[in-house]
Amino acid sequence: MKKNIKSILMAGVSTLLMTTSCTKDFVEINTNPIAYSSNNFNPNFVLTTAQLTYAGSTDFAYDTWRANLIYSSTMIQGLAALSSYWAGDKYMLTPWYTSAYWERAYDEQIKRIVDVVESTRGKEEYNNVHQVARIWKALAFERITDLYGDVPYSEAGMGYYSSILYPKFDSQQFIYQDILKELDEAVVALDASGDALTGDLVYAGDINKWKRFGYTLMLRAAMRLTKVDETTARTYVEKALNNTFQGNDDNAKIIHDITGGRETQNRNSQTFLDGGQEHYYVRWSKTFIDFLKATNDPRLKVAVTNLYPTTSTVQNAAFVTNAAAQKGLPNGKDLSGVAGRDVSSDPDYTTIGDYSQPHPAMIERDAPTFVLTYAESELLLAEAALKWGIGGSAAEHYKNGVKASITYLSQWGSALTVSETEAEAFANAHPLVIASGPQQIAEQYWVQTCTSFNFYEAWSNWRRTGFPELTPVNYVNNATNGTIPRRFPYPTAEESTNPENYRAASAAVSGGDLLTGRVWWDAQ
Amino acid sequence: MKKTLLLALLMVWAMYGAMAQNKVTGVVRDTLNAPLPGVSIRIKGSAQGTTTDVNGQFTLTVDPNATLRFTYTGFVAQEVPLNGRTTLNVILQEDTNELNEVVVTALGIKKERKALGYSVTEVQGEGLTQARETNVMNSLAGKVAGLNITAGAGGPGASNNVLIRGVSTISSTANSQPLYVINGVPMENTRGAQPGGQWDNAPDLGDAVGNINPDDIESISVLKGAAASALYGYRAKAGVIMITTKSGKGNGIEFNSNFVGEQVMDLTDWQYVYGQGSNNIKPVSATAAGQSGGSSWGGLLDGSLVPQFDGVERPYSAVTDNLSKFYRTGNNWTNTVTLNRSFTGGAIRLSASNMDNLSVVPNSSLDRNTFNLAGTFDPINNLKIDARVNYIIEKARNRSMLSDGAGNANYQVMFLPTSLDVNTLKPGWNPDGSELAFNTGNSWATNPWFAAEKFVNDTDRERLISSITARYDFAGAYYIQGRVGRDHYNDTYTNVVPTGTAYRPNGSMSLTNTSFTDMNADVLLGGTFTASDFSFAPAIGAAYRNTHTIATTNNGNDFNVPFVYNIPNLRNKGFAYTDTQFEVQSLYGNVEVSYKDLIYLTGSIRSDWFSTLATPGVNNKLNTVYPGVNTSFVFSELWKPSFLDFGKLRLGYAEVGQATDPYQTQLAYSFLSGTIGGNALGSISNSTIPNASLVASSASEFEIGTELTLFNNLLSLDATWYNKISDGEIIPVTTSTTTGYTGAVLNSGSMRNRGFEALVTARIVRDGKFNWTTSLNGSVNSNVILEMAEGTDALPMGVSRTGVGFIQHLEGLPAFQILAYDYKYDENGNIQYLESGIPDRGELTPQGSAIPKWTAGWNNEFSYKKVNLSFLLEGKWGAKIYSGTDYYGYFNGLHKATLENREGNFAPAGSNTVTEASSYYSNLVQNVSSLNVESADFIKVRQIILGYTFGSLFDSKIKSVNISAVARNPFILMRKTDNIDPEGGYSSAIPGIELGGIPPVRSFGVNLNVKF
Repeated sequence: MKKNIKSILMAGVSTLLMTTSCTKDFVEINTNPIAYSSNNFNPNFVLTTAQLTYAGSTDFAYDTWRANLIYSSTMIQGLAALSSYWAGDKYMLTPWYTSAYWERAYDEQIKRIVDVVESTRGKEEYNNVHQVARIWKALAFERITDLYGDVPYSEAGMGYYSSILYPKFDSQQFIYQDILKELDEAVVALDASGDALTGDLVYAGDINKWKRFGYTLMLRAAMRLTKVDETTARTYVEKALNNTFQGNDDNAKIIHDITGGRETQNRNSQTFLDGGQEHYYVRWSKTFIDFLKATNDPRLKVAVTNLYPTTSTVQNAAFVTNAAAQKGLPNGKDLSGVAGRDVSSDPDYTTIGDYSQPHPAMIERDAPTFVLTYAESELLLAEAALKWGIGGSAAEHYKNGVKASITYLSQWGSALTVSETEAEAFANAHPLVIASGPQQIAEQYWVQTCTSFNFYEAWSNWRRTGFPELTPVNYVNNATNGTIPRRFPYPTAEESTNPENYRAASAAVSGGDLLTGRVWWDAQ
Repeated sequence: MKKTLLLALLMVWAMYGAMAQNKVTGVVRDTLNAPLPGVSIRIKGSAQGTTTDVNGQFTLTVDPNATLRFTYTGFVAQEVPLNGRTTLNVILQEDTNELNEVVVTALGIKKERKALGYSVTEVQGEGLTQARETNVMNSLAGKVAGLNITAGAGGPGASNNVLIRGVSTISSTANSQPLYVINGVPMENTRGAQPGGQWDNAPDLGDAVGNINPDDIESISVLKGAAASALYGYRAKAGVIMITTKSGKGNGIEFNSNFVGEQVMDLTDWQYVYGQGSNNIKPVSATAAGQSGGSSWGGLLDGSLVPQFDGVERPYSAVTDNLSKFYRTGNNWTNTVTLNRSFTGGAIRLSASNMDNLSVVPNSSLDRNTFNLAGTFDPINNLKIDARVNYIIEKARNRSMLSDGAGNANYQVMFLPTSLDVNTLKPGWNPDGSELAFNTGNSWATNPWFAAEKFVNDTDRERLISSITARYDFAGAYYIQGRVGRDHYNDTYTNVVPTGTAYRPNGSMSLTNTSFTDMNADVLLGGTFTASDFSFAPAIGAAYRNTHTIATTNNGNDFNVPFVYNIPNLRNKGFAYTDTQFEVQSLYGNVEVSYKDLIYLTGSIRSDWFSTLATPGVNNKLNTVYPGVNTSFVFSELWKPSFLDFGKLRLGYAEVGQATDPYQTQLAYSFLSGTIGGNALGSISNSTIPNASLVASSASEFEIGTELTLFNNLLSLDATWYNKISDGEIIPVTTSTTTGYTGAVLNSGSMRNRGFEALVTARIVRDGKFNWTTSLNGSVNSNVILEMAEGTDALPMGVSRTGVGFIQHLEGLPAFQILAYDYKYDENGNIQYLESGIPDRGELTPQGSAIPKWTAGWNNEFSYKKVNLSFLLEGKWGAKIYSGTDYYGYFNGLHKATLENREGNFAPAGSNTVTEASSYYSNLVQNVSSLNVESADFIKVRQIILGYTFGSLFDSKIKSVNISAVARNPFILMRKTDNIDPEGGYSSAIPGIELGGIPPVRSFGVNLNVKF
């Protein structure tokens, strides 16, 4: 019996020793075999993805579909829609659409771009990556704050680096000041002879173009403040003068790729081609087409009819490009059969297919997403010149802007090419008139941002300038009492995930946390 | 670890030496002449002895005048003087006192019930085979006090939610379910992804325990509390369910055939006054009908001819039977053949079973083939080998989509307008193969026939569960046992959105292959010493586990060649790959001390080392220790008044835990599947913020209980009170999305389950011919989340498709609270209205838990001669459910409540706006979603069995035949929901949200069992 007890003990001890000694493999077992650590992963890879997701979510254009198209494009009367869920067309509130941009942007853009900024901080070998990431971070946050107002900024995306689980909301005023400061520092710190950017989707690593981008973005961000802080606006515009985009070759855009499926295909195109019959029920707005037709604008090339004459998703090869045949769909119409609301009560109604749609080149799966263009830059410079008498001739900047806004269309595809001569002639025929200058500039900015499908920007600039003068629709049960929305309400999910900060921010929105509330720079 | 096992075996082996005298052989049988394996034989006055082999045989070298003592749990011990005999035939009498029954406890150790200081309920296998469920665990519903099983609305082969003594963890879906142990080998019951998010629109892909063939199950032991399951340490927090499968026994062939028909219950009570249309107007054209394809806001049903979506004019009258027209009569046919053969030194059992289930949903089926081979043999004296292989092939065709409507036939048929006949939507597609859209205003409103016939949601599983156990019994009452088990399966999930689908005309596809391997090995060394009236049984053991899952997904959209569904045919392709592995190593010890049959005291301790806590460069603690102690005091040994047959008091305390998931301790980067312009897309793979200082969580539980038998076995009672505190819960705290992460994994939060459970059994009539036994089990569990993570008091779990019904854990309240918006009130309590006359939205308020507080089951068994009848009722009370079906009932004008002021104006008098009923009611449930929170109380008839047993037939060529008429879930006796099944939630992981599931199904059929 003693012998047996001894053997039991020995077996027990040897088992114990063998078991505990095995845990030295645990670190290896607990390291994901298909992942990388910051020791062996190049931050350029993450920068690439952060750039791509500014063009929209990799998840079936989630934010682009809802925020850029369903809401921004229709509120600003660039597009119009008959689908009942296109809530922006009728100023209805669909909270899970207005929250879409927030949900995707922080997850897909901010998390990544903050990681690039933080993981390259102080590393000389990644100086240019770091500076470009700072610029891109400014770009990404500018759009978020333009849509929602005060938002988490300084503590956002810092879950890993600072263990901040409940980021505070920074005031939009603070955010804009910091964005301008960041841009100012980053453009100076960029070094054309420094480290190479790899995987740069926008400028293929051209540091000089990145400098011009940084300054142009500074110009745009500064001009956003004209209603509330003209001093800051002018200070930064003056820094940007002579450093901004020099031509359409500087246009910042992301060229999409068919091969990666939803991850890499153009977001707007995915919505039109694969969405819920968007290809048929979404058309250019009557406001937009009428504006172009009034001056026989060569940019009518963006419009075609009968590309989708029926609900079939097969494109009609014999679509109609004739400018005279173009006709916009009035906003606020539906298919209810109710007189006054139903599309058939439009006096110009013939068939749905007869309403103009974007040219098929603009909804190709590998079409570009325009981020920031030379035409916008020149129009903003024209406005600055007009307002403050700085940076040269307003009329000249205006002409450059209009011309570039016509000629850049070839970047959609050769089918949209307008000759330099024709653009020149149009610009000369429609020069800046000082008395109506601000309106003309803003209207051209609106046309530019609509033709480049940057409806977010179109909406922001309209809110700032009040132009073009849009006639709101007044659909039954709309959420704004028949006024064009001025911001997106905060996502209610934040009420449970970040309650204290959310409640404070929500209560502080000027005009209420509604579609009709106003962001700071949109002061009345 | 294999090395460890071998080494331990060798060391013990070396110490073993045989001592020789006279040789005695014999066989031990029960009163029915069946051999008894594992009977312990001791030479009286010595510690030496042996055990019988699988055929009841033994050999022993012993003094010719010795006396042998035969003991076998569940049987009366017997002493036999040899008197020089060298062969013996021993018959053991069964112990009729049920409290001497043997139950399977932790690590597969069989113990007498009276020795246990905790509550265990055992269910015999025959109760699972007559009235069957496709997932065998559903058969336990209502049978065990404190066990709460919800099958949900996912259809055949879907997973279920099994709760023992309440919600076990605050942590989200992982590890919230009990541990299953099959023949001593732990089995990970991995559930497929569960729909629970607002936009989720996915089928339930089943779980692992549901694959087990009920015909193979000998018994199921439910270890409810921590004291019972303490030896499972980190795996035991949700309780343990021990499944023992059948072993070879005797010789013979058994055939069982079970056929049942299945039918949906239509629980809807919609309005049939107004028909399809909008604005109280009948559709005037095919376009108008198409645009109002989901709406019953039309005119009065007057029987007039009205154009429908296809341009055909049909009478505008009520169609009340769309559900019964759409769902077919399903059936489930199971055939099982079992072969048993015993031979010298061993026995084998082989079973082959085919289950063929045609679901009530058209074109949906589940086909399962299982083969089970169990062999037990003694290659040499005192060494027992038990080897088992269970091979499973399961094919599920078109698992139903749940929740949202896209591609979901259940959703679409449920909300068809009151005047639209589902048969007019046939066949579901146009001549060119594209979807026949009936609701052109919403391309996600998939034609239900098209959804059922053309969508693909198939799973294929091939699984091999194997184990081998070797046990060597030494003469001196010691034993060593080693066991290795491997569970491996390959799953393929194919999802196709077909060409021509309205919302995705060019189609899409995804194909996921998952390879899962779980290795478990353990070694146990134990013995029993007796000294006068004391008995002392120590045991030590070690366990090792390695779990490895590799999943590959190929997906994409746009088929180059339409209607041909394979991955190479996709124009745009994506790819995903995951590789997850973790390991746990454990050491444990257990000591049982008893004094006579009066008092039993058991203490145990276990330490688990987790790979999932390891972090490079951080020397953190990798293990957690789980102690346990329990005692059983059989007071009837001291005090036995005439009414008391048996009385026992038990006390137990233990700590158990829960592991963490791998790869949560470090930040990791990976690539998205696509590239853009040749550039790789780098990303952060963590969706939750990594935490380098995680520890495993633990729960401590105290329980006190009693078992009483009264009035000469007329009445018995088993009752338990328990109090369980879970601490350091591993919570994926939902962080603001603005952190960049969906959450952070923290050790924070605590929860309490406190409750009482009881089982009362009365043998009311026992006169030999007619017997009636009735048993009532019930439990009440009070669950409360004591503390959440710092800075948050809520953990979101799920969101209804409607966007206004939420499931969350809230501090201070029971888990799985349903949250909905209340009315908005002013300071005087008056409801506030918008200008439109629609009630304004008030606070988001908790409406109650989705988990019932009270559960009860009532079983009755009658037998008269060869006829037996039984029925089982189950009831649950105290839970709530958020009904998405009723929300859309309001939204679409189907709900009866929408009849009020149907053609009127809801805007206040004097207002110049008009608010129609459609706008009023659809905004009402959007603003005041508490209107769709309903009581989920119910009483259901779970099963009825009426059987007749024939004795031996044809000169005993047939040993017995039993034929039974069976019914499962035939009736709902009580419910408080408007139009839904109170158990109709679609997610087994997130209870309380309901929409778009398969309606409840009742089944009736026959079971035939023949033994040759």
